[in-house]
Amino acid sequence: MKDVMSQPYKSGKQSCRVSVSGKNDSTFTINRNDMLLKSALDQGMDYPHNCRVGVCGQCKTKLLSGKVSPMVDLALSPLSNDEIENGYFLACQGKVRGDIEIEVNLGQHHVVPEQQVSGRISLWKRLPGEVIELRIALDVPFQYEAGQYAFLSESGSFVRRCFSFSDAPPADKNNAATEVGFLIKRLPGGQFSEWLFAENRTGLKMWLHGPYGVMGVDDPDVSGLCVAGGTGLAPVLAILQQRLAQSAIAKFTVIFGVKTQGELFAIDKLEALIAQYPGRVQLLPILSHEAVDSDWQGERGFVTELINEDLGIDYGQIASFICGGLPMVEAVEARLLKMGMNPDRIHADKFMPTG
Amino acid sequence: MTDYFKYLLSPFILSLHAWGMLEGGAFAWLGFGVIFWVLLFDAFLKPSHHRRDTRFPWVYDIIITCTVLACFANIFLYAHLAGGIHFGGLAPQLGAFLGSVMIGFVIGAPPVHELFHRENMALRTLGRIGQCLVFDPWREITHVVTHHMHTATPTDPDYARRGDTVYGHFTRTFPGQWKESYHLEKMMWTKRGRKWYDLRNAWVFKATYFAVFIGALFALGGVKGGLLACGSLILGPRMMLEVFNYCNHYGLVSATPGRFKMHHTWNHLTPFTRILALEITNHAGHHDDSYKPFYELEPDETGPKQPPFILCVIAAFVPPLFMLMMKPLLKHWDEHYANDQEREIGARENARAGWHELNNDESPTTPSAGLAAA
Repeated sequence: MKDVMSQPYKSGKQSCRVSVSGKNDSTFTINRNDMLLKSALDQGMDYPHNCRVGVCGQCKTKLLSGKVSPMVDLALSPLSNDEIENGYFLACQGKVRGDIEIEVNLGQHHVVPEQQVSGRISLWKRLPGEVIELRIALDVPFQYEAGQYAFLSESGSFVRRCFSFSDAPPADKNNAATEVGFLIKRLPGGQFSEWLFAENRTGLKMWLHGPYGVMGVDDPDVSGLCVAGGTGLAPVLAILQQRLAQSAIAKFTVIFGVKTQGELFAIDKLEALIAQYPGRVQLLPILSHEAVDSDWQGERGFVTELINEDLGIDYGQIASFICGGLPMVEAVEARLLKMGMNPDRIHADKFMPTG
Repeated sequence: MTDYFKYLLSPFILSLHAWGMLEGGAFAWLGFGVIFWVLLFDAFLKPSHHRRDTRFPWVYDIIITCTVLACFANIFLYAHLAGGIHFGGLAPQLGAFLGSVMIGFVIGAPPVHELFHRENMALRTLGRIGQCLVFDPWREITHVVTHHMHTATPTDPDYARRGDTVYGHFTRTFPGQWKESYHLEKMMWTKRGRKWYDLRNAWVFKATYFAVFIGALFALGGVKGGLLACGSLILGPRMMLEVFNYCNHYGLVSATPGRFKMHHTWNHLTPFTRILALEITNHAGHHDDSYKPFYELEPDETGPKQPPFILCVIAAFVPPLFMLMMKPLLKHWDEHYANDQEREIGARENARAGWHELNNDESPTTPSAGLAAA
């Protein structure tokens, strides 16, 4: 990128050709000086991305030739030093200065446009494990996909945090959701979550900005392994609901990790799915910090410890949907690759708790 | 073609200031006087929406490069003269000092800012070293990463909320920027797997050239000259930059942090302000594309505007006057520029500032416990 950074600025609205190699080769045109990711998404391209503001690193792209100017020093991005030196940049922060060739795995999926809508809290319910189930009845229908997330903020407040939708959008893609749900964990000291936990917020006006992220996209009939850590269960629930409804044959194993028995939440939602789709969902809760002498009869340890041959899964034939804290997701990804899973079928949402 | 000559105004005033200081006596006030009267005259002119001739961009680059180098020469000259008995009485000393303060802010800071945003490595390096002239070698990192990414939100240390006075702003912005600089520098050395004291770290380079710069001021002017020169830079570009930031995003709110929209900044488009400030007061265009050179910026004719620049800066030091000026502007911004979510944040901010008269009965002004101060 060093030579790229030193190129002089050229103004104007000339078109630039973007040649993409990767899983799905493509060529498209954007205006010179436009941001690569924004332009690609505006044209309806399924460009891998998540936060769009240089934090998540999902839009990591390799520059093969041409000129791109990163908006911020890449050392301050999630890219590793090796990646930076090998020509990677973040598409969400990259201004295109001319014709470029890039390497990135484009999807072939319709991208849901960004929306900013308001609504009121219709359900505020405490769950075990210091989790709030929050539902918002929207003033305007909102389009999203299972596995995506949105920024939530209280009306009138600068503070906003992102949370994954915990239920599937309407099955008919022509219909948008009129109510959305979230599972929100209290983070001590966290400005948003502490506020939300302080009292029942039912009826309060909220704003949603999104949707963001790509996680649940795969062949509808492929079976899956879902691994959730804590409130990482939210997108997993949405994906499960959607995929179980879309396919008559896909089966799912859900590994759900929390620290103690008292923190197991939303089990009723998982059991409802098990009842609704008999024989198609297997649930494996696992506790990492449960007291040795407790009455817990289930699994103990970390979620990765269950990912082995005993699970009875053909890892080469299934997809995986993982959501949780960054270390957990990375450990699960490494474990799945070791078990022979196709890397293209590992769909993950890593989050850093911000409260 | 005349566009190119316009930007010679800054080096011309700089030369007058240097000549005035060399002449001494009443001439020591020349720089201060000229810049003050030019800005005051400008305050009575209509906004200019003229776009610059861009056929020979290298001419602009040569002019601003020379301006930065001349600013270095100027402050060294001031340190040297102020350190001795050249100025004689108090009045010439005061004139030279105030001239250096104003010149450092109005003429020194804009080209430094312009250059550290540039992609060309030579120009950017000059801009980075030029940050000595704003007495803050870390300015670039907090400015580009934090200010540009968090515009019009409280997470930007350069941002002033409704009701904040410039004096309160000073107490927040300086520690906020130091904290942010440390945080960002630490991220960079950690990312590269280095210790904090590794000589390859950017902060070491910055600290080195800053120390050389200050050393040069003291070498040329002794203790007295060095202190006065540093003082002029601290009171001038360093502090006045914060006044500029205070004014330029005052009270505006963004509901989409990280996604700048053209209405998230105020603009000052009077002709001489545009020229002297190298179009930085054409602020929306700069935030929209921070790599865009000053001569490429297109004035946002319909964007939010404040009164003339010099009036805003002076009024900022008299908080009741500044608030009196800003309240109707913010009310207009809420009604005409803000989106629905921003309007609600604005109403909450009005309530926080005690400006209830700006809200109507339907404004969501009652903060829920916990997020009131957020």
